[in-house]
Amino acid sequence: MNALPNPMAQRAVRHDGALAAPATGGDQLARRLERRYADRITGSFVLPGREGSFAPLPGDMPTGLAQALRSRGIEQLYAHQALAWDATAAGKHVVIATPTASGKSLCYTLPVISAAMRQRAKALFLFPTKALAQDQVAELLELNQAGNLGVKAFTFDGDTPGDARQAIRLHGDIVVSNPDMLHQAILPHHTKWAQFFENLRYVVIDEVHTYRGVFGSHVANVLRRLQRVCAFYGVSPQFILCSATIGNPAEHASALIEQPVTAITASGAPVGEKHVLLWNPPVVNPDLGLRASARSQSNRIARTAIRAGLKTLVFAQSRLMVEVLTKYLKDVFDADPRKPPRIRAYRGGYLPTERRAAEREMRAGAVDGIVSTSALELGVDIGALDVVVLNGYPGSVAATWQRFGRAGRRQQASLGVLVASSDPLDQYLVRHPEFFQGATPEHARIATDQPLILLDHIRCAAFELPFREGELFGPQDATPWLQVLGEEGVLHQEGERFEWIADSYPANAVSLRSVADGNFVVVDRTDGRQTIVAEVDFSAASLTLYEGAIHMIQSVPYQVEKLDWSGRKAYVTRTHVDYYTDAIDYTKLKVLEAFDGSPAGRGSAHHGEVHVARRVAGYKKIRYYTHENIGYGPVNLPDLELHTTAVWWQLPQRALEQAFDHRQEALDGFLAAAHALHIVSIVAVMAEARDLQKAVGSGDGAWFATPDANGRAQMRSSFGEDDAVLQGPFVPTLYLYDAFPGGVGLSAPLYERREHLVRLARELVHRCDCRAGCPACVGPVLAVDELEERSLKSLATRVLDLIVAL
Amino acid sequence: MSALADKLRGLRRQAGVTAPAPGTATPVRRSEPLPDNLRALLGVRRHVGTVPRKTTASAPMALPGRTMAPGLQLCELDSAWPPAPPLFHALFARLDAWIEPERLLLFDTETTGLAGGTGTRAFMIGVAHWHEGRFRERQLLITTLAAEAAMLDCFASWLRLDSVLVSYNGKSYDAPLLKTRFRLQRRPSPLDGLMHIDLLHPVRRRWRGAWENCRLATAERQLLQVIREDDLPGAEAPAAWLDFLRGGSAAPLHRVAQHNSQDLRSLGGILHHFSAATDALHID
Repeated sequence: MNALPNPMAQRAVRHDGALAAPATGGDQLARRLERRYADRITGSFVLPGREGSFAPLPGDMPTGLAQALRSRGIEQLYAHQALAWDATAAGKHVVIATPTASGKSLCYTLPVISAAMRQRAKALFLFPTKALAQDQVAELLELNQAGNLGVKAFTFDGDTPGDARQAIRLHGDIVVSNPDMLHQAILPHHTKWAQFFENLRYVVIDEVHTYRGVFGSHVANVLRRLQRVCAFYGVSPQFILCSATIGNPAEHASALIEQPVTAITASGAPVGEKHVLLWNPPVVNPDLGLRASARSQSNRIARTAIRAGLKTLVFAQSRLMVEVLTKYLKDVFDADPRKPPRIRAYRGGYLPTERRAAEREMRAGAVDGIVSTSALELGVDIGALDVVVLNGYPGSVAATWQRFGRAGRRQQASLGVLVASSDPLDQYLVRHPEFFQGATPEHARIATDQPLILLDHIRCAAFELPFREGELFGPQDATPWLQVLGEEGVLHQEGERFEWIADSYPANAVSLRSVADGNFVVVDRTDGRQTIVAEVDFSAASLTLYEGAIHMIQSVPYQVEKLDWSGRKAYVTRTHVDYYTDAIDYTKLKVLEAFDGSPAGRGSAHHGEVHVARRVAGYKKIRYYTHENIGYGPVNLPDLELHTTAVWWQLPQRALEQAFDHRQEALDGFLAAAHALHIVSIVAVMAEARDLQKAVGSGDGAWFATPDANGRAQMRSSFGEDDAVLQGPFVPTLYLYDAFPGGVGLSAPLYERREHLVRLARELVHRCDCRAGCPACVGPVLAVDELEERSLKSLATRVLDLIVAL
Repeated sequence: MSALADKLRGLRRQAGVTAPAPGTATPVRRSEPLPDNLRALLGVRRHVGTVPRKTTASAPMALPGRTMAPGLQLCELDSAWPPAPPLFHALFARLDAWIEPERLLLFDTETTGLAGGTGTRAFMIGVAHWHEGRFRERQLLITTLAAEAAMLDCFASWLRLDSVLVSYNGKSYDAPLLKTRFRLQRRPSPLDGLMHIDLLHPVRRRWRGAWENCRLATAERQLLQVIREDDLPGAEAPAAWLDFLRGGSAAPLHRVAQHNSQDLRSLGGILHHFSAATDALHID
């Protein structure tokens, strides 16, 4: 998507001025699969092809640049590229949110190169990954060379050698970097970049949809610091942002840069017809609701497609899965070692030269099947493909479309197949084709004023330039924060100025990917290794890194052997057990303050601040596929507490008494409903499951409920062993809360969409294929004792019916 | 303020941050520096070469030097050692130029730390040159952050277009740091374009591997037989100044000044050593 559009492809369309004749390909395969596997296909739809909408090259473009474009086969622009040119020329901040492969990068390269040619104006490009940055520079250099434009573009990242850095700072017209480098290397050394900043005219930020949640909140603060440093040098650069299709591109872009942004969302690029199939593996054990593996299905679909002569790309979720699927396909297609290989794997961890070679082979059409991790999702140009198979849901609708967008660069029907795994989220989405049709429901959210993130960045900003009393940081008066930093001893107040005086480099202690720096590192000790393989947020550590835990890293299981709590380290070894572990955690919430509340059905919904106390009491070992509980282990870790924000639903005792015979049933229903609401909420706010958590308890913190070994609710008043039966009013509360201290803004959008979420949850439970309840709807259930009346499924429905808006 | 501070402390603890012990750095607003005349009335002089007695905060000690401007102290000193170098050729520093000794300007800074970046500042700039055969040192010390601009202006006024800077590791450390400070104070850097002899490099070329390291302390001992007496380790200088800034004693600042002064004299001695050697070489 970042790559310049393939000039050959654009030329082919533009000379004859119309779409090529509809070719056979993805459409035929789609029809064939639909006939043969009707029972596995839960959704099927066709996005019609669209002719391109073009505009002439702008007359006010430097002639050299226009010639360079022509020499690369680009005689005219797509309509959205021309719109972007006009909007930037008018001095507006712009966000371009058009589909994959619509030539987004020209939207920013044209104004940037023009300004560099005319006024030696400088530009800063920010990409989320190094690989993308390097690809972008390669493209810029090609265009520059084609027109002999004299514009210098360099990447500046952790790999840039020290002696090259000086030259880049002084001579780079376009510096291509990433948010982490801006945060840790450029801003804290801004005086070395003085010339660059004094002439900085454009800041280009690509893939802004990836800047959401904690990471996005950090990046927004890094941009506050960037704008503060720019102001010191007397410039206010124009921002050009690009995004995958999300529900709120303009709002999100504007939240990131805190300025009004013009959104360009209609693509003028021609696209071929696109078929989409949602595929659920067949049920192999109806009692347990057990399905065939996604892997077997992806393999089958890819095999069929490649046999039909279609270029096919399979996305797998882990490197391991890439290797497994590659092997399966190679066994079929690369059996003859004398012939050049038809199947190729592509994943992170390859050397740049290997990657380039693979990309070249793919572009040349020498490869028939590619199996990749998300490494290929963004940017990298690999030429035209016919079929994309997703082995598992990639976590967001936006990412799904981005991956599907890999197919169909040519004017030919393409096919995208999403194969659901047994993960509840996959199971939910594959049954809701509507999520993939029409506008995406996902909104990217950030919480720029999250207190801890804000404190970290005001700290970094004070290192970069002193603060004046009353100075704003974003919309906030920074003074109270500065006083806190003064108490800490890193700032010194003199008159009305706060100046940095500590001997430290604060940016090094601030990771853009976590709320604060109490993270745990996971150290792999397999076979004498002693290497860091992952990092885990402090708040998630007790749930995932207890001794005995099976900890998954990129779908590879490791067992935690030792947890060094105060040293913030977990030592793990690679394992091959057939079970996973699930923490038994007791979570007790107490409402501290409700910001907002409204009636919800016969009860009420609220949004506010809560206190969370959590103890991990032990863990369960659960066998894969059958979900049998095969053992327990003890955990002995400190209790955690958390002040955060939450959304919650409550029902008054009267309503409950009318609807349920026993408290037990009501509680079971609440736990089951929480499971369903949690699933739909994760999808709605593009959150990671661990960032948003669920709990059931009393609003006043008197008791909480946890599922027992049979999946039935147990009421407890404390973390201790024995619990007295509780008396007094019974007001069960269902919470969804932000798992970070201070919250990261997940609960406010959930509250805004509360009615919709309850309806979605109800529908999720109602439409699930299971009989009495399963992990895909209300959570794990033992298959035995289920009476229809008292099944978790029906109890959950009863609770959801009571809180759904009338 | 404390409500926010308490809240943040709570959140940081919940996020697993080990909080700094409260009270380690309680800022105390220090009284304004005494006016010049009052200091004169008190008859306080700078005690060169004497060991400052440990003083308690309740018995404040005078600042080194005299007050040039609000918050800016200047210490001046001249001595016979080190001797001025002759006219020499700077080939040892890979510069193809004859250098007249009166163009030389030796400098060394004391800073708030080694972290680098825009958050590190120099609180003392020591400068030395030879004048009529004497080694003249001038040290600028700021006692308020606001005085930085005055210090930089004063330092800049001592530089001439034909000045030749002499330093130890100054090309990588002191000069870039000062350039950053000039830039932050919106002033052109007077260091740009000046010839600069960084003695660390010729020392390294000649003695790397022969000595345990090539730090200034080692070079001065090996080449000049200098032994420091009650020297404040360089790494403790930032703490001494920060402590003073937060209302602590001025006593350690005298030791910082002495340390800086010894650095300058050693710098002069090492330069003399090289220039004498190359001078002999060229006459041969």
